[in-house]
Amino acid sequence: MSYKIAAASEDGEQINLNFGAAQRFLIYEVNEDGVWTLLEERSVPEGLEDVSGCGSQSCSGGGGGCHGSGAVSLKVDLLSDCRCIVCKKIGFPIQKQFEKKTISTFEISGNLEEVLDKITLYFYRSDHHQTLKGIAKQ
Amino acid sequence: MAKILDKQRYKCAMSAMQTVQAIERAIPVLHSGPGCAQKLSGSTGSSGYFSPNIYPCTSINERDVVFGGVKKLESTIRHSLEVIDADLYVVLTGCIPEIVGDNTEEVVSGFKEEEKPVIYALTAGFKGNNYKGHEQVIDALTEQYLEPSKIRIKGLVNIWADVPYQDEFWHGNYKELERLVKKLGLTPNIIFGYNRGIENIKKIPAAEFNLLISPWVGLTNMKKMEQKLGIPYLHYPTLPIGAFETSKFLREIGTYAGVPEEKVEAVISEEESSYYYYIERYADLFLETRVMSKQFTVVADAQYALGITKFLVNDLGLFPAKQFVVDDTPREYQEKVRSYFKDLNYIIEAEVSFDTDGFNIHNEIKAHDYHGYPLILGGHWEKEVAKQTNAHFLNVSWPVNERLIMNSYYAGYEGGLKLIEDIYSVAKTRFN
Repeated sequence: MSYKIAAASEDGEQINLNFGAAQRFLIYEVNEDGVWTLLEERSVPEGLEDVSGCGSQSCSGGGGGCHGSGAVSLKVDLLSDCRCIVCKKIGFPIQKQFEKKTISTFEISGNLEEVLDKITLYFYRSDHHQTLKGIAKQ
Repeated sequence: MAKILDKQRYKCAMSAMQTVQAIERAIPVLHSGPGCAQKLSGSTGSSGYFSPNIYPCTSINERDVVFGGVKKLESTIRHSLEVIDADLYVVLTGCIPEIVGDNTEEVVSGFKEEEKPVIYALTAGFKGNNYKGHEQVIDALTEQYLEPSKIRIKGLVNIWADVPYQDEFWHGNYKELERLVKKLGLTPNIIFGYNRGIENIKKIPAAEFNLLISPWVGLTNMKKMEQKLGIPYLHYPTLPIGAFETSKFLREIGTYAGVPEEKVEAVISEEESSYYYYIERYADLFLETRVMSKQFTVVADAQYALGITKFLVNDLGLFPAKQFVVDDTPREYQEKVRSYFKDLNYIIEAEVSFDTDGFNIHNEIKAHDYHGYPLILGGHWEKEVAKQTNAHFLNVSWPVNERLIMNSYYAGYEGGLKLIEDIYSVAKTRFN
């Protein structure tokens, strides 16, 4: 099955944006053989009121911890058809919101092409029940 | 077909964090997912200066699987050194970093110049259980920390016996073994438990010999130390419980270490006379407790299955039904361990089964005729089968759920008396 990856990149070459700062995401489509192509650029609609992902009470210093239980960020909705999000940094509550939708988040900076190659290889191997042995080195 | 492990008897190799915890002021630095650390941390008696909840952990996740976790490992070790005041830092790796190919050795070698020692053990769960993990930590000490000594201190003996926390009597057993060896005029050196720690680790290379009291756990460590540090070892496979085995144990050490025979015999006679004083005082109880079992079964690791079987046959005169060794003894040791169970007094031999499947074990117990109430010494899991078979049950092996063992012990002469107390305390609850 093909799937999509959302990347937060300013120039399409490097992953260099924090999730919160990204006003648009590059959406890549990955086909069944793990080959990826740029599908579209998806902009965050202007004036989109974003939330931090926290409920108003859970992160107000009560010490209860944050589990992304607040209102779902509209940015999360915007990317909910993707299998994973790649960005330089992403806040914990938003990660949790993606996690609830079984969307992985990868905090990584560097060359976009290399990162996509690695992630698609990882998903390809997982999906085909192949070993992940030595994958971090490849 | 895949097998389901029924009634777990041990944890995975990364539970070697317990071995590290047993060394005072040593701290495990975990390179694993947060779940591994959490699940393996629960054991009684592990609070204190360091406790599992503060173990530094890289908490690796999916991102680290794809891109590697070495940077996180490097920063976790560096910050541990900055923030935690320990004497020894032991990096333990879980399955994920080893599968995906993180080079832990390379990262750890970057800390060679630090003031405090940082070593690592590759304790991926797929490599084995925590008995193996324990061995890996000791090997790591030998390989990465200890250096051959130019001096040999006459009479200095390193003692290796129970796997800390897995064998819950480890505190007391080590203390009692230490006391006995000291009585022979030797100087025992143990690294686990109260008031020992790094200073005793440093003494290891100067020892005259290593004393391993265990059927198989630790044998590879002894060989490694012999090879690298030039320390010979005496392998005494049975944990001595009660007079018969303990006296034999003292004689064997005495002979090996060149302790004068008169001295050994004097120690034995002093200890035995106190031991038999109590046996004599309570002989009426042994003879008149009609509900006491005639046959027994031990379900434990090789250490306790063997030690207790020998004690119950040689000292208490009970007859062994089948014994179950549940520590997943490696195949290469099984025949040897089996032979130890054949070396009992009165030409008695105990049948032993190496099985980790609680379902099979319980079925075999149920099928056996114990000629009276069975006596079952085992893990918490055996409580169920003990109830079904109307047995006397004593929880001696992991998991230990319904008794607290702080510093009591079964090793030695007094340990034997303690085991008698525990067994009869159970038997006496039944109408006689």
